[in-house]
Amino acid sequence: MANENIKNTGQQKSPPPAETDAGARSISEALKISFLILKLIMIALVIFFLASGFKTIKTDERAIILRFGKIHGRGEARILKPRTWPYWVFPYPVDQFIKIPVEKTIDLNVDSFWYFQTEEEKLSSEKKKVPPDVPLNPLIDGYSLTRSEPYAENLRASGDSDYNILHSRWKLICQISDPESFFKNVFTQDIKSGEKYIDVIKRDLTNLLTDVVDSSVVTAMVNYTIDEAFEKGGTVSEHVKNLVQKQFDQMESGIRVVSVQRIDVTWPLQVDDAFQASISASQAKQTEINDARNYAQNTLNETAGPVAAELAAALHNKDANDAYLESLWSALAGKCREIISQAGAYRMKVVSDASANANYLTQILPEYQKRPQLVVQAIYKNAIAKILTKADEKILIEPAKSDKGSVIYIKVNRDPKLVNKPKEKTQE
Amino acid sequence: MKSIAVAILVVLVVIVLVMALISFQVRQTESALVTTFGKATRQITEPGLYFRWPPPIQQIYKFDSRLRVFEADLTETTTKGAVPIIVNTYVVWKIADPNKFLNSVGSTSAAEVKLHSQMNETQSNVIGQYSFSEFVNSDPKKIRIQEIQDKMLSSLQNSVREAYGMEVKALGIKQLKISADVSKDVFNRMRGERNTITEKTIAEGKAEAVAIRTQADAQKTELLAAAQARAKAIMGQGDAEAAKYYEMLQADPELAMFLRDVEVLPEILKDRSTYIINTDKDPFSLLREMPNLQPKK
Repeated sequence: MANENIKNTGQQKSPPPAETDAGARSISEALKISFLILKLIMIALVIFFLASGFKTIKTDERAIILRFGKIHGRGEARILKPRTWPYWVFPYPVDQFIKIPVEKTIDLNVDSFWYFQTEEEKLSSEKKKVPPDVPLNPLIDGYSLTRSEPYAENLRASGDSDYNILHSRWKLICQISDPESFFKNVFTQDIKSGEKYIDVIKRDLTNLLTDVVDSSVVTAMVNYTIDEAFEKGGTVSEHVKNLVQKQFDQMESGIRVVSVQRIDVTWPLQVDDAFQASISASQAKQTEINDARNYAQNTLNETAGPVAAELAAALHNKDANDAYLESLWSALAGKCREIISQAGAYRMKVVSDASANANYLTQILPEYQKRPQLVVQAIYKNAIAKILTKADEKILIEPAKSDKGSVIYIKVNRDPKLVNKPKEKTQE
Repeated sequence: MKSIAVAILVVLVVIVLVMALISFQVRQTESALVTTFGKATRQITEPGLYFRWPPPIQQIYKFDSRLRVFEADLTETTTKGAVPIIVNTYVVWKIADPNKFLNSVGSTSAAEVKLHSQMNETQSNVIGQYSFSEFVNSDPKKIRIQEIQDKMLSSLQNSVREAYGMEVKALGIKQLKISADVSKDVFNRMRGERNTITEKTIAEGKAEAVAIRTQADAQKTELLAAAQARAKAIMGQGDAEAAKYYEMLQADPELAMFLRDVEVLPEILKDRSTYIINTDKDPFSLLREMPNLQPKK
């Protein structure tokens, strides 16, 4: 080929130097290798580009795909759920795969209604002491207003003071229930490298959640008296929870309230003494009532045993049937049982006595009819002997022999047993 | 073959570059405003891919249209009847009209300044229409705090939407307080109320205890009376049963009564008895003399 060119042109050209050939070849080789490497890199990039489209979702997550910025899919298919094989999406900028944690709860403590405490006081287990005349500072002390008891109205100087003050601490637990609404409507910062979305959510939602809880507590608490706030903690918490959920729904935030817990509550420390006295009075009231109940229980037990109250009620109940009443009478104990038993014993005795007397008469009658005087005399004397044997004192009087008779004065004690009592020694 | 591949690559690169110049995305969380030579020509509130003229012909302004929260400062205002009250309100808002927002506000921080001013005004106007007893009252039916917040929300919604292109989605009173001096008065009243409750509690306890004891005593009396009535009936039954044997005594009533007397007399005189007896009566006549007995012939 090179020779043909020489011929055609008619010119003699000197052949290229051997070094130039070698250089060109090496450049050519280098370029070939470079292109090969470039080709491999491009193939690797394409593979990496395609592989980067594979996405997985954890069990506590849901995902949405943004295709050119818009949520992809229709109906329920818009929300992607975890599955055993990965999803594939077009890499950015066509698609964006947004994973949203739905199972993880967001816990938030709200201290907006608690009195001011220094760090030292927060660590101390002792209750803070505040003199009665120290006012609350609205800038640093948190509290909510509660309504007064209606009966307290007559205590007021003015008609607009229908409230008390209460300190409380709350805990909100919520989670994302509607990932699409949450993503569309609730502002969170973009996730930076190394950050988790749940941490970003917790950080960015703190103000919103706190404000919503605060507002709900203010709105709910004015409906309760301070005593109701203490006694009906569950009801108040439920009320606050409903108000919080209502606000989240109103914002279309996609957040569901799991629970609202009132973790602490107290009256103002300035009136602690009065409230402690009130608690003591409640305890004293309960003690007094318990004592009275014990007395009632003992009294009824002593009177009629365990069925006493039931029997007393049944006696007033006109509809109580006889069988029921008899069952109660048979279960009777105590004093009433004693009275009934004595009556039963009397019944047995009087019947058996009558029977015995009748039998005795029947047996003795034939002999009496034969020798009445002797039988009567014998019975009579036996009876007199029996009586006099048991007598405490027996005084025998010799009848007067004269016709005029005689008068005898005998001092008889009303209680003959007292005669035998030794005289008390008098102190000399 | 190689040149075709290169050509496709080049075309793809060119398409990507051209698309980057003439298109833009609006995310689901955003809204956008397109200006042509500085004039707003298109407002986009729906997400998706849109086309544009390249700069400097058209400029794109994007806004995050998600909800943001803004808290006002703790402010003292007065209710109807000039009762001072300290409130702190928050709002949740978003950009609803990008064009109006850009023209009248411009940025989020500027929006918050506007909101603050509007909230103070709304707060003052609405709270001034209600008396303090409508915030908190011993009669729950008179409490209108929810209505007050709804009214503040409605008023603020109207004013900021028209003026600034912002939509207020929620509003709430997050702190409702009283001045420091008033809190001292409240403490005095609370103390008075609590003392009344304490006295009432003690009196209730005593009254209830007395009622329980009285009832127990009454039940005891009733039960004993009932038991005695029942006992009397049992004894009556006994007497009735015993009476059946009296028929047998008809054989000789005089002897029967004698026997009865003989039976009961020792029982009656068994205790604490003193007898004064004449010795001419048997068997005490034995004390006077030996009886003169003769065998019966």
